[in-house]
Amino acid sequence: MLEFSTSQPLTLGVELELMILNRRDYNLTRGSDDLLELINRRKHGYDIKPEITQGMIEIGTAVHHKTSEMLDELIAIRTLLVNASEKLNLGLAGGGSHPFQHWRDQRIYPKERYRLVSELYGYLAKQFTVYGQHIHIGCPDGDAAVRLTHHLSRYIPHFIALSASSPFHQGVDTLFQTSRLTSVNAFPLSGSMPLVHNWSEFNDYFIKMANLGIVESMKDFYWDIRPKPEYGTVEIRICDTPLSVDTPVLLAAYAQMLARRCFEEDWNDIRVEHYLTYSYNRFQACRFGYDAVLVDANQVRQTSLLEDMLETLNALLPHARALGAEREHAQLRERVLKRNIDSQWLRSIYEESGSLSEVVRRQSERWMYGEIGRD
Amino acid sequence: MSFPWQTLALNPLTAFGLILALGVLGGQIAKRIAHLPSVTGYILTGLIIGPSGLGLIQHDILSEASLFSDLALGLALFELGRRVDLSWLNRERTLLLTSLITSTLLFTGLFGLLLAFKLQYAPAALLAAAGVSSSAPILLEITRETHAEGQVTERLLATAGLNGLFSLVAFGLALSYSHFASAADVESVFLRPSWLVLGSAALGLIAGLVAIRLNAWLSGRQREAQWVLLFAMIALVVGLAEQMAMMPAMALLVFGLATRNLQSGNTLTDPTLLARSSFFFVAFFVASGAQLVPSELVRIWPLALAFVLLRGVLAMLPWSVAARSNGLTSKRGALLGLALTPMGSGTQALMLLAPSTLLSSQSSMLMPATLAVLCILELIGPLTSRFALQQAGETHE
Repeated sequence: MLEFSTSQPLTLGVELELMILNRRDYNLTRGSDDLLELINRRKHGYDIKPEITQGMIEIGTAVHHKTSEMLDELIAIRTLLVNASEKLNLGLAGGGSHPFQHWRDQRIYPKERYRLVSELYGYLAKQFTVYGQHIHIGCPDGDAAVRLTHHLSRYIPHFIALSASSPFHQGVDTLFQTSRLTSVNAFPLSGSMPLVHNWSEFNDYFIKMANLGIVESMKDFYWDIRPKPEYGTVEIRICDTPLSVDTPVLLAAYAQMLARRCFEEDWNDIRVEHYLTYSYNRFQACRFGYDAVLVDANQVRQTSLLEDMLETLNALLPHARALGAEREHAQLRERVLKRNIDSQWLRSIYEESGSLSEVVRRQSERWMYGEIGRD
Repeated sequence: MSFPWQTLALNPLTAFGLILALGVLGGQIAKRIAHLPSVTGYILTGLIIGPSGLGLIQHDILSEASLFSDLALGLALFELGRRVDLSWLNRERTLLLTSLITSTLLFTGLFGLLLAFKLQYAPAALLAAAGVSSSAPILLEITRETHAEGQVTERLLATAGLNGLFSLVAFGLALSYSHFASAADVESVFLRPSWLVLGSAALGLIAGLVAIRLNAWLSGRQREAQWVLLFAMIALVVGLAEQMAMMPAMALLVFGLATRNLQSGNTLTDPTLLARSSFFFVAFFVASGAQLVPSELVRIWPLALAFVLLRGVLAMLPWSVAARSNGLTSKRGALLGLALTPMGSGTQALMLLAPSTLLSSQSSMLMPATLAVLCILELIGPLTSRFALQQAGETHE
């Protein structure tokens, strides 16, 4: 039986998985231990921890009410990380996947859970060297969390287009805006939460899966969005880690606006029809970004993702005002109107330089030293 | 009537094939049965089949097959030069300082020791200068074979590159002094050593600039062509440095350093450069083993042993003291110093630049001491480096 901890509704937190690079050819390198050892010599109070392979590091913010506070914390974490990585001659970068690393070369971080994942999933564990942003949104109770999870699933393509930053995979342009999600899809417990209507039904499902020996904890579900009962949140896991340090805050603000609308309108339209087109729309966004064509199974119509996002942003304006997030709302709108997508920025550097090493070098410079609000 | 096989002498290609084949077998035996680094297997193979062993390969064949081992040394030195990142050294002065202190300590300590063993000033200075450097091919092959990655490995290779530069400059100065001591003319005392050091550095710098330009022109979409170009440039620099009587080691280190540090140099890289050239490295290590002379070690073992032990202590000391400032624990710092054990490959060739009076003089002891020291360090070097990196937790075998 999973207990859902109560948290203050609409509070926010983000986690970012970052690449650790050598500064020679900008390939991934085993650096998480060295980086953590150096950072932890002094008390800093930030949540910085290793991830499944040693070329990754994860940072997490505290719980915030305002996205501006979240940005301040992210900048402070970045300063700490940049100082340490400069001493160690390491690069750090955002982006959903490293353009030319070979999964075979990656090393599993020596931690019991990762060892078990590696044993169970074999090469998939090393292929999971991909980098995502997770957004946590506070929920009053488990029922609200189930409703919010279903509500947000409709907007998964929006989050994909806003964050897509992994066009290259194993040295090749995939033609996708994000190739990272293909690595996630390989896991048997990926996809979306089943059609449960409340926390009690969710618990029944979880207990069944646990009794069958398939899962032990919520961590075993690799869903795009999942309730996180121990934090009292819903966690959106679909986003690539953006290239700039301030973009995650925009994505969090967008999630907060959507969540507010869900709670304010007491949304409860949980239907199987919503999931008929879930995978197809998700694929369209991964492949085409803003140019994706979404299928609405309820209204039996197709619409462009760009239009859908602009319509949604218009509808969210009152919620942005109520949350004091007008600036973020305006930035999101501008980003969509300009069709600003990280994957295209990466491709343009490759076009210009012909070198994936140069792509990652610029990617790293952007995350480590990029000015706030330049995008 | 006689048949060709009755008077069969190995030509360079046959010798190369034989060296490679036996080297691979030796490397595999060392790795699979004795759990030694492959490098140790190659070197031991060379020692067994070389002039000091069974005599299957003689000096004339070794010199004819030197083309391949020269290329291996060139590739390794180029790669080591690429590990010297000047912007990192500018930010991380502790690393630069620790390297400089290590080099200075090594030079002065070894110089003092050799004087204590009654070597004359000039040969003592030359051998002490050589003792500062670590073997690029051995360090790179060990890190490649063990997939070592991390701060100890990064700092090890950066400091090995810096020590290499220090060693070559000190060698140039010692050479100048040795000519002066031999009462040579002005040209030998000043011009020749300057040409060796500065001329070689200039050649490396020019090669770096040209390689970056050509690489940019080819663009990253022509990876194969870029790789061949890089290889060609390395071969050219080795060849030109030899033809112009320079120090190829200096030219190659500066070439690598230039491509790492000049603008757009980061695109001129191929992580598989060393792996693709593994056959050159096998030939190089077998040839190095074949050139070992254990009889010299037997003759002057106290000097060689003292040299090796002092060199180890002097390398470990500054690194363990400055470990914390380098972002390492004291243990990992000491291990980094230990990993520097393999002595500069090509030391023997370097010594041949010394005035002929020093080489022929029995009292100078330059060549016997060099050979005796190399005999120990070539054999234990790969093992200690691998041990150090394993203990530092950076290998992944």
